[in-house]
Amino acid sequence: MVTRASLKLTRLSGRAAAALAAGLSISTAAAVAVPATSSYAQTVSASSSAPTASISVWMEASGTPVDNYWVAQAKAFEKANPGDTINVEFPAATVFNSKVAASLAGNNPPALTFGWGGGRELQYINSKVVAPIGDAGQNDAGNPSWKKDFVPSSLGAVTFNNKIYGIPVGGTQPVFFFYNKKTLAKYHLSFPSTTTQLLADVKTLAKHDVTTIALGNLGGWEGLMYLEYFADRIGGPQVFLNIQAGKKGAWSNPAIIQALSDIQALAKANAFEQGYNQIDWPTGFPDALVHSGTAAMQLMGDWDIGNMQGYFPGWVASGAMGIGFFPRVPGGKGNPADLEGNTTDYLELASHLSPAETYVAEKFAAWLCASPAYAKFEVSEGLVPVIAGSSKLFASSPLKQYLVPIYNAVQHAPYFQYSWDQALGPKESTPLYSNLQKVFGLTETPQQFAKTMNTYL
Amino acid sequence: MVASSAVLNRNPAVRTPSAKTAARRRAFFTDLVGMSPTLALYGAFIIVPTVFAVFLSFTHWNVDGPIKWAGFANWSRFFSDPVSYHSLLVTLELAGFSWLAQTPVAMALGIFIAGTQRYRAVYATLYLLPLLLSTAGLSLMWEDVLFPQYGGLAWLGRHLHMAFLSRTWLGSPNLALYTIVVIIAWQFVPFHTLIFQAGRRAIPAELYDAASVDGASVRQSFWHVTLPQLRYSIVTSSTLVLVGSLTYFDIIYILTQGGPGDSTRVLAMDMYNVGFNQTEFGYASAIATVLGVIGIVLAVLLVRLSGFGSMEGTQEGIW
Repeated sequence: MVTRASLKLTRLSGRAAAALAAGLSISTAAAVAVPATSSYAQTVSASSSAPTASISVWMEASGTPVDNYWVAQAKAFEKANPGDTINVEFPAATVFNSKVAASLAGNNPPALTFGWGGGRELQYINSKVVAPIGDAGQNDAGNPSWKKDFVPSSLGAVTFNNKIYGIPVGGTQPVFFFYNKKTLAKYHLSFPSTTTQLLADVKTLAKHDVTTIALGNLGGWEGLMYLEYFADRIGGPQVFLNIQAGKKGAWSNPAIIQALSDIQALAKANAFEQGYNQIDWPTGFPDALVHSGTAAMQLMGDWDIGNMQGYFPGWVASGAMGIGFFPRVPGGKGNPADLEGNTTDYLELASHLSPAETYVAEKFAAWLCASPAYAKFEVSEGLVPVIAGSSKLFASSPLKQYLVPIYNAVQHAPYFQYSWDQALGPKESTPLYSNLQKVFGLTETPQQFAKTMNTYL
Repeated sequence: MVASSAVLNRNPAVRTPSAKTAARRRAFFTDLVGMSPTLALYGAFIIVPTVFAVFLSFTHWNVDGPIKWAGFANWSRFFSDPVSYHSLLVTLELAGFSWLAQTPVAMALGIFIAGTQRYRAVYATLYLLPLLLSTAGLSLMWEDVLFPQYGGLAWLGRHLHMAFLSRTWLGSPNLALYTIVVIIAWQFVPFHTLIFQAGRRAIPAELYDAASVDGASVRQSFWHVTLPQLRYSIVTSSTLVLVGSLTYFDIIYILTQGGPGDSTRVLAMDMYNVGFNQTEFGYASAIATVLGVIGIVLAVLLVRLSGFGSMEGTQEGIW
């Protein structure tokens, strides 16, 4: 499972992500319930004189059955398409990006490479080493027919200049509050729908020695999710898009200042447990606090369902964990159905391939990733696919009570904001983490934060 | 070491000039042959990478592109960047406080275990235990000890009614650096204790006898015999403490990752972030070069100021 923690190793390296703004402002207002029957696949297999080639595919090693599944599918593809060879390799997560960079610099990249889109891919696009993906044998690079097979918000991170530069290969990772239903019920509380209500709950729970929110903020990315949501709820998506576009003084936006003040109001009210800035989330401590009822909730990506299931399978299976949207901020402009998180991950197509190689790569990518069978496999791995029409697949999953609402939330999200640290790249996210930690620790004012961060725009 | 070279110089055979020259020449070739494997390894793994780092500090190098000449861009960035300035201050603070925390304690312990008291060996073994632990292991252990609310120290605080023990030792910007200083001291004091123990053992009993004949008190013997005699032990230990703290990384990386905020972000941590998170190897090399230069300057200063380089014995005239 690709957690946010493991993603820390592979943060985007470029800050030139301004063009992303257009790509990420995806509206999923339109209905997207198109079933994932890839009409294009039939078109291709009908053609008799299809070119053949041998191509390499690099997937980040997951150490899970996903790796074996990919190898088996490559064999199946070779069998169905005599003459084609698909070599799937699995470089380790820690070296993945440097290996890709080296292969690109050496002008010998694999035809298809696993990636996260966003700022890092934009760098590759600007260096003309990755190409838009189309349908095999068609002149539609950047506008493939399988576009409709995916939840639209999932393509935002690979859409540049209205062209699609990647095909989704992973589940979606939005961030929610995960709460202990029993704890809230014990004190006659329901999950708060506004931040005012949240602050009131903090007071109620404190009277019973219960921490409202479990937080491990040692890495900095954990606290960032609060800023992402507060800023969206207060000022809407444009607040961050201005920052991402590098607009002068964008961090001084009143919505950011209020978001930071709201975070400090939570900290001052002791909403978080003691020592949150020194606790590392991957240790599992915040999970344990929520499970034991010592804390009522935590804000985390949906990978936490898998984590929780690993630690407390019985508790998770009993449906004891609730999922809540980040509360509305009274008077705020943002839609409380907006989501923040990692949209998904992708296969990206190398440029400088022979026409036959491009043909086989595009054919293989769509054949595998846009297929209902792939969605089924993802669900069996506890992932929420971004393949449209996957909701019916959850029926057989032991985690369906969690996966279905998340899938629906992604389907209906008016806006899904890609994680700020991923979108901005490491040059801005490193100071963002440390300054935000100071805000959480009440040693820096929102104004000082904005002043410092403005220097990185 | 020092004492024995002083003894050798008294050997008449080495003192005649011609014999001395021949012996030196012979020694030089024997030394060269003997040292050649070490020199080759030192060259390949220390000299070449150091020179390459200095070269890289004048370039822009992100892994997804070629190495580009940058002139002094990284250097002017270093000297104008408030982040690196802050990290430099934190690094010097860490070095200074580490010296203050380690040297007196190590000296006291070293002198103590060099003595002949009962159970001395038992104490000595206990004091030296931290030296046997791996840094990663002991960092994780301290993480548990210092864990807020549920850690060992918080538990003690609750049961002994000492509320001051239950605080966010690593999560509070005012405490984190000092906590790190204490943990580093806990790890390295045993090593420096050994240096001082050896130094104290090398002081001849005659000096103390002479002092006591002259009517010196215990305190006076310490100030006028022990301390001057330990001069080179102090220089060796201080150099290791100060230069070692400059590059201190692992405990900080595991326990605080430079936080909270930037309160424990030493230059080594900054260099890691810049190099491996931001993949700006040129700028990271500039930071590495700064660390190297400060280390060399500190070591040379200590040696010069203390007269350590002239290799005079501390025991001239007592034989």
